[in-house]
This record gives sequence, structure tokens and C-alpha cells, in this order.
Amino acid sequence: MKVLVCVKRVPFTGGKMVLAPDRKSLETRHLGFTISPHEECGVEEAVRIIEAGGGESVVLTLGPPEAIEQLRDAMALGIDRAIHLQTDGSEWDGQATAAAIVEAIRTEEGSGGFDLIFFGNESADAGGYQVGLRVAHALGRPCATGLKGLKVEGSSLRCEQDTGAGRDVYVLPLPAVVTVKEGLNLPRYPSVPGRMRAARKPVVSSTPARPESRLALAELAVPGGPGRQTKSLGTGPAAAPAVVEMMRDIGVLA
Amino acid sequence: MSVLVLMEDGDPSLQTLTLARAWGDVHTVRMDAIAPFAPDAMAAILERAAADQNATAVFAAGTDRGNDVMARLAARTGLPFAANVVAADPSGTVTRQRWGGSLLETATLSSARLLITAAPYAFRVTAGPEPAPVDVRRYVEELDPRDLVVQVKEHIDPPGGGVSLAEAKVVVSGGRGVGSADGFAIIEDLTRLLGGRVGCSRVVTSAGWRPHSDQVGQTGTKISPELYIACGISGATQHMAGCKGAKKILAINSDPEAPIMSLADYSVVGDLKEVVPAISAEIRKARS
Amino acid sequence: MSGFFLAIALGLSFGLFSRQAVRLYRTVRAGKPTSRIDDLPARARAEAVVVVGQSKLLQRLGPGVMHAAIFWGFIVLFPTIVIAMIGAVDPHATLPWLGAQGWYALLVDVFAVLVLGGVISAYAIRLVQRPKRFAGSHLGEANLILAWIAGIVVSLLAWHSSQIALGLNDFPREWAPVSNLLANAWHGSWVAVLERVAVWTHVLLILGFLVYLPYSKHLHILVAAINVFFTRTRARGRLEAIDFEQPEADVRFGAATAKDLTWKQLLDTMSCTECGRCQDACPAYNTGKELSPKLLIMALRDQVRAQSTAALVPNAVTDNVVWDCVTCGACVRECPVGIEHIDHIVDLRRNLVMVESRFPDEAGTMLRDVDRASNPWGKPQADRAAWADGLDVRVLQPGEPPPEVLFWVGCAPAFDERAKQGARSTAKLLQQASVDFAILGPREACTGDPARRMGDEYTYQRLAKQNVETLNQSKVTKIVTTCPHCFNTIGNEYADFGGRYEVVHHTEFLAQLVREGKLEPAAGGRKITYHDSCYLARHNDVLSAPRELAEASGNAVEMPRHGRRTFCCGAGGARMWMEEKRGRPINEERVREAASTGADTLAVACPFCTVMLDDGVRQTGTKMQVIDLASLLHEAVERKKASPQP
Repeated sequence: MKVLVCVKRVPFTGGKMVLAPDRKSLETRHLGFTISPHEECGVEEAVRIIEAGGGESVVLTLGPPEAIEQLRDAMALGIDRAIHLQTDGSEWDGQATAAAIVEAIRTEEGSGGFDLIFFGNESADAGGYQVGLRVAHALGRPCATGLKGLKVEGSSLRCEQDTGAGRDVYVLPLPAVVTVKEGLNLPRYPSVPGRMRAARKPVVSSTPARPESRLALAELAVPGGPGRQTKSLGTGPAAAPAVVEMMRDIGVLA
Repeated sequence: MSVLVLMEDGDPSLQTLTLARAWGDVHTVRMDAIAPFAPDAMAAILERAAADQNATAVFAAGTDRGNDVMARLAARTGLPFAANVVAADPSGTVTRQRWGGSLLETATLSSARLLITAAPYAFRVTAGPEPAPVDVRRYVEELDPRDLVVQVKEHIDPPGGGVSLAEAKVVVSGGRGVGSADGFAIIEDLTRLLGGRVGCSRVVTSAGWRPHSDQVGQTGTKISPELYIACGISGATQHMAGCKGAKKILAINSDPEAPIMSLADYSVVGDLKEVVPAISAEIRKARS
Repeated sequence: MSGFFLAIALGLSFGLFSRQAVRLYRTVRAGKPTSRIDDLPARARAEAVVVVGQSKLLQRLGPGVMHAAIFWGFIVLFPTIVIAMIGAVDPHATLPWLGAQGWYALLVDVFAVLVLGGVISAYAIRLVQRPKRFAGSHLGEANLILAWIAGIVVSLLAWHSSQIALGLNDFPREWAPVSNLLANAWHGSWVAVLERVAVWTHVLLILGFLVYLPYSKHLHILVAAINVFFTRTRARGRLEAIDFEQPEADVRFGAATAKDLTWKQLLDTMSCTECGRCQDACPAYNTGKELSPKLLIMALRDQVRAQSTAALVPNAVTDNVVWDCVTCGACVRECPVGIEHIDHIVDLRRNLVMVESRFPDEAGTMLRDVDRASNPWGKPQADRAAWADGLDVRVLQPGEPPPEVLFWVGCAPAFDERAKQGARSTAKLLQQASVDFAILGPREACTGDPARRMGDEYTYQRLAKQNVETLNQSKVTKIVTTCPHCFNTIGNEYADFGGRYEVVHHTEFLAQLVREGKLEPAAGGRKITYHDSCYLARHNDVLSAPRELAEASGNAVEMPRHGRRTFCCGAGGARMWMEEKRGRPINEERVREAASTGADTLAVACPFCTVMLDDGVRQTGTKMQVIDLASLLHEAVERKKASPQP
């Protein structure tokens, strides 16, 4: 098997959103960065597939020069080599991202096609829900999304999609594209020899041209708004009667 | 002006309908036009329906399936697509959610036909004229077999049966404050009394205390119960993204400064290990 | 004839002894390097106090006196080996000079009796008292060795007394009261036979002992003195850094097999005599967990002896044993033969974490959070200074002149609600005393201590280097911190990465301000018992300053286990981020001990202890307030201000 995982570098916010002065990006001065959580599971799954059946795994990202850190992180987990589509750090919309990735895949596939390509269901930051599906369409390959279970069965792929009320199962012929969700697996913690080896693994870089955005970011804002009005029901165990009364009021308790 | 809406069961689609009505005459296509579900086929049907109706915009709810089908439609038509929109006008200016709703983005969608999914629970459902269903029979008959390659082959019921986390009327969740896998015993007890489901935050699944299927959040399950009880959960945005569909939120936390204490409808300051058993005891007392 | 026989016995026993001794020496020499030859005066001092002075053994009076009697006895009796050999060959000859000295004969008599007394009390301890610390020890072997020792001194006394009875003694008989007394009982022709049998029995028992020694746990009488010499002299809380710059094949990622142990760790395994003092003091063992520091060292010894190449985990010890340790250092402190158990545990962890990626799942959350968010809570660094809201604390910006004292806050006070109070009180007190101080705010990252003690040396070093760079760029020279873990790491470990600062714990700094009259407390009515943090008291000898503060704030009482013999809260060694799935909770054990003093206030000087013991108080339903000494002092200073001036 030859497997590709596409990942995105995103800040590790710890849940707090602080905007940069231009209001077009997050203030990331004190933030660490990570691979978007769904894609981390994609990396882990790719590594497991190659460990079990042999072959080659490749990680790809479109991002600023610093995104090499995330490529190294993926290689530390066991991915063999990396493709870095370098940007100046500005925002690329889903369509532009997909086009650049498709071109890179076509170049790469001159030396043998990918049997399976992983994407995250959506990136943690932009949440566009589309790059994987656009790439699949351009390559003419089937794609199942939001997977939490995956199994290679000969020349096909059994895919389990979480629906909130159980799982839907798809069976795709290979080669295929999948988008996965956190919960697919529990990604391993990188070993130090793995990290040291990652520093020596090959990375091929190129600088694609950024097309005009058709979903152009104008400004970011932290939602404030009315939100919910919080009512205190008390402190400690003494609050229990007030809680039960509230439950009666809203009708969850007879 | 004519717009097309992809309809599913549930509130998010009704909310989408509210957004669409402000734009013009609404035509609808149902998500179950193809059964079992086949997302490429749905996208193909939408593509033809949109063309035939000359729709200026196609809407769907920002659910898993809604976003999936709309992204496929965007891919096959080469149009841009804005997911999880909270406000939009026909000029193409949209406000959409990033970071699971922790951040809002104002953006311009440059397209003759706007493809948009509406963020769940971002719109209030209002009454309005009944939309006109599109007759899709011909589109279904003329489907390209390649669009049926990706189709649900089988459905697996959730383990243990019963009501799923996404559909539960009451969800009682525990976070880092629960302290251990065993600590969930008191949460499970309260959950049983309320006939609900146990949920948890991301920290809990990473620690291996609960399976990922219990996780509420941006990368877990998005829930919409009548009451969500968050115990020892700080309320990181990625968690709130999963529970904002709840009608009411009760937060129990020893830290009065925890973000969730101002994001919830009700709060109790206190150690969950004391408060949760006290609530269970109070319910039992009331019932006996 | 007898000369010939002795020569054969000597040759044979020394040959067998040397064969095993060389084997052991080669084993130790094959160990991985560790730096243990600096600071010779301190090493000599340790040798004098711990080995010759038997200081650690004498911490327990009964067993201590017993052991000291045997140990000192053998030192005194050593020359009698040569005297007996000469006597065995020629009954009329003795060692020139010493063999004829009355005072020496007296010493021999007295110590022979003391050794016998020692052996009898050792039997009493083992067979009658049966302390728990021997659980898992090889008691049969110990009993054999004790009998052997008894045989050696009994045969010595029998020889001396029969010599006197036969008039063969070169020493004045009145100087040997015990032998003399016994000699009165010897009559008849068989005394001459007794004299021959006794001296030969004595010599052969000793030579046999020499052969048996290197094959038994009693090897400690040879190795312990060497092992004590090579123990850490300073900064007992410091761990040795791994050099990641060298080629990957040369990097020692902790210990996977016995082949990866350092020579000091190999010596440790050979020094252990299974006395169980470590086990008796171990918080994990004492709360019913799998770890026993004694059994750990014994299990490693078995692997070393077998020259095994199998993975130490799980072949020597289980994963649970490795993760049960709180690195409190109680075992290391108690060990009379200088075994450093923490180094073994950390090396096993280093291999599990850095090579195998194997550890309790919940600790993985902490490691990832430390790696990505620079703090184990996974909270945004931008919120680091939020604990000081409303206090007007200066946040040191890059390029600004350094303050006199940098307040290193630590992650727990920055992000944990309960731990915050100690830092707030400290800041208020520093302000009242007009101390020029500042914090780093978002530029302060976790020191890396939890990652390091988990075994993730790689992540630790990244953070350590980052913090050293920040501190050095800011030209910081003096640091005060409320966290003993930060205190230990920055003070003892950052020097390895170019960070040299004067680091003081906030209790020391505040006590100094009180002594200088810059803070004036008035003691109140609280009954306070102070819980020593392991990383303050045991690892770093900070004992008096916290007590000064407790006494300045109220009526201070001590817990049974205090000072350097304190009992852990359960959070050390990154246990703060692991579930306590086995045994009883350590924090509850400690809270019950605190409650037994009748105190209403449990004073702490560590944010981790604050959280753990506060949990313990809630879980046990104890009526006691857990509070940082800084908050107590602040209360006392406010009390003084409020009281009418005379």
C-alpha cells in the first residue's frame, strides 16, 4: 500500500481566542502548534496500515515554512517522508487548497499512485468541510467522510461513519479518499528515536501559487452577543433542592 | 428569486429553512431521496435540481450529512462553499463559524450560485410559507452508477442499544474534575435517575476513562438535549461547540471562574463529588 | 603438614573468591557511565558518617545497635584472622606485638561478646519480632549467615579459652575476662584437642565465609562501603541529563535491559542486603501498591546476575511498579548502603516513555499538554498572569531591566484555583515588604519537571533550554518560587543547560523578610501542623524556614513523620497526573496522620501538596483547613496590623 495523509498546522489555543491586531488571524505569539486533531488520527491510522501490511506512507501539508514541525511530528509517529507545499502563511480557501494538493498528488503519482488518501473531516481552525471531497472528485476516486472505523479488506475498504445513532458502513473500492474523525484511534505518543529519525527523513518542498480566494476572509470576530444568562442555584450540596426544582420546571423530571 | 434547501429531519433543517425564506421562493429536496443514503447521488440530484430551478443559492443544515453533500456539490460544480454560516445575504457576504463556533469569520463568497450550510442552533425557527418540494424522480432514475459507489451498505446500532448520545433528552457529562474512571460512578447514578446518557469532555477520553463515543465536543458528538449537566468541565470552546444545542445547561464546578460558569443557564459552585450525589439523593427523596 | 594444609585452604578459598570478585568487577565495569568522582571530601565524609558511623542504621535504635555491634566487632576482630592462622600452623607462635597485647585481648573479648549479642538480637528481630520490612526478603539466607557469624566468634572464644587453659596464650590472661572465665571450665586431656579443633574451625569458617560472600546477599559487607562512597553528594533531587546530541545509537534512553544500567546502578543491586528500610518508608508500598523499592532492586539484581538480555519491564518488574513511584526519595534517604532507587525508576520510565511510548493513558494528556501548551493543564499561556488580577504585579517584558527578584510562579498557581491562593499571598507579602519583583507571565513555561519525572527527558530538555534562554536574556539572577518542584528543577537541574541562578523557596524568602523585620506577623489561635514537601525537605534540606513561618502564625505541632522523614502527598514523580488505581490513596493516609495531631490547620508549602491534601481532607471528611504558609503569614501580618499598637 502507498498511503498519503494530508494534515494542517493549527494553533493549540487551550480554548481561548485572541485576535491579532489585523483581525484576520489569531494572536499566536504564546501558542504552541499542532496537527489538527482529526488528522492526527489519520496519521496514526496510516502508520498502522503500513506497519501491518507494508508499503510507504507520505504526509503532505500546505502551510507556512514552520509547518515543517507538523510534518516532522507525523514522521516521528512513523510516516516515511513528507511533501511541503509552502505558503507565506496567508489564508487559502478550500478550493485553492484542494487544487494545490491535487497538483502535488499528480506530480507524486508519476512514481506510483496512492491506494489511500487521508484527510481530516474538517480542520480545527477554518472548518471548511471540503478539501478532502474536492481532491477526491478531482482525482475521480470515491470518498467517505467522518470515519471512525476503517479496515482494508483486500482491494476494498470498509468504512464506519459515526451518525450519532450508531454507525453507517460504506465499502469503497481502492484507490479511495477518506476523511476521518477523532476517535478513529488513540494516536501514539511519539518515541524519541522516532523523533530523531524524523529529523533525517526526506521532505520535498515546493511553492504553489495562490489563486484568488472565492471564499475570501474579510475579518474575524470573537462572538460575544447575548449568549445565556447564568443563574446561580447555590453552593455545594445545599444547592441540590434548587437543582431538582429547576429540573421539574424545565420538564426533565416528573 | 429561487433558492433550494436540502432537508433532513430535525431542528437544524428547520432553522436553515428560516434563513432561506428571507432570500426568496424556497424549493426543497429531501436527504432521503436516495435510500440507503448515497452522498454523491444526493449531490448529483441537488446539482440538477438547482440548475432546473435556477436557484441563486443552495442551502443545507451544517450537519455531518449536510456538509458532506454540499461539499460534494461544490466539488462537482467547481463552486466555492461556505460551511456553518450564521448570517448570509444574497450579495455573497457571509458570517461563518470557525473553531467550532469559538470564532466568527466574515467572508465574501464569489459565486453565481451560493452554496451554504447553516450552523445548527444559530437560527431561531420561525413559521413561514410551506416550501415547494422538487420532483426528483427523473434525477433519481437518470443517476450515473458511479454516483452510487459510495452508499450505505449496513447500519450498526450503538452498543448497548437505547438512546444515543446525540438524541438523549438529558446528558450528564464529566470532565477533568471527575478525577478518574471510577469517579464516573456518581455521574452514572444521576444519569440513570434522569433516564439520560453519560457524556464527557475530551480530556476524559484522552485519559482513557471513557470511550470516545461518550465525548461531547467539536471533535466528539454534538448534542441537543433538553438539559445538559456539565460536571467538573471547564468549558473550553471545543467542548462548548458540542453542547450548544442543549436547551438548558447546568454547570457544576469548584472553580467559579471556569468559563462554563458564565456560559451555562444554571450554575452550582462546589465539588462535583459532593454536589452530584446530593442531587441524586434529592431526586430519590422526592420520588419516595 | 598443617602449614601445607592451610596453604591449600587459603589458595582454594582465595581462588574461588577472586574468580567471583573478578566476575562482579567486570560486570560493574561494563555498566554505562555516570559521573560520580567529583567532590571527594564530601564522599569521604559520607563514608565516615554512614559506613563507619553507621548513622543511617542507628536511626532505628534496636536494629541499629545490633548491626553496629556486629560491624564494629568485625573491624576489631579482623587481625584475629591472621593471629588464628599463625596459631593454626604453630600453637606456640602468634602475630608479633599485637598478639601479645593485653588491651587487644580485652577488645577481642568484649567485641566477641558484642557480636554474639548482636547475632542473638538479630535472630530475635527476625524470628520473634518479625517486622514487616522483611516481607519478600530471603530470610533463610540471612539466618545461615547469622549462624556462620556466631560460629566464627564462638570458635574464636573457644580457641582463646583453651589456649589459656593450656598456657599457650601470648597475651596476659587477666586481660581477657571472658576467655579466662571459660578457661576455668576446661579440664582434662581433651582441651588440647579442643584447642586444635577450635582454631581450625575458626580459620575454615572464615575462609568458607570468604568464598560464600561474593555469591550471597552478604556481598554488601564488601560493596556497601564502595557504593556509599559513590552516592550523590549534593542536590539529591537532581537527575542526570541525557545527551541527545550524540549519534542515536549512542544515546542511552534509560534502561531497557540489565545491560543499560550504569555502573552505579549495578553496584546498587550488589549492595542490597534486603533489610527493607526503603520498603518501610515507601508511600506507595505503605498504601498497598505494587511497588516495593526493595523488591525492585532485588528483581534488578536477579536480572544482572543472570546476565539477562530480557526487557526489565515486565520481566523484572511490572509496568505498575514503575508507575507507582512518587520519587519522594524516602527509600534513598533510608538506605544504609547508598542505593539510589529513584535513578532506577526514572531510567525504567525513560525507556518506557521515550522508546516504547508506553505509560498510563491519562499521563499522555499531561505530556501532550506540556509539549504543546507549555503547561500540564493545557491552558492558554496568555492566561498565565490571570492569577494576579487586581494585584498590580509587574510582568517582565523582553528588554526591560531585570527585577531584584524574579517570582517564578509555576503552572499550578497559574492555572489551579486552589493553588492560586499561595501565589497571591506571596505577591501581597512581597509588595508589603517593598521587594522589587516581577513575573514572566506568558513567557514562563513549565519547567519540564513532570515530563522529566515521567521519563520524557526529551520534552523536559526542550522546555529547560527554552526557559534558560528566557531567564538569561532577561538577565535574571535571583528567583523565588512557591513550587518545590520548580525550585528543585531550576535550582539543581538547570545548571546543566547553562542556567545558574540563586533560587530560593518562598518560605525561605518570607522567613528572611520576617527576620529582617520587613514583615511583622502576630501569631493567632490556629493549631498548625506543617507538611514537609518531599522536594523541599528531603531533596533540598529546606526545614527551618517553613517552621519559622508556622510558628509566627500560630501554635505549631509536628506530625509523627516530619522533616527529612516526611511522608509524600502522592503528587510527586508526575503522579499528580496519574490515577491512583491501586491500593489506598496516599493523600488520605497523610491527612489522617495530620489529623492525629489535633491540628485545625494543615500548612503546606507546595501547590501540588495543596491540591492533593485538600482533596484528601474532602475525601476523608476531616475538619482541617489546607493552606499555604504564605497565606498563613499574610493572615498573621494582617492580624498584627489590626491589633492596637502598644
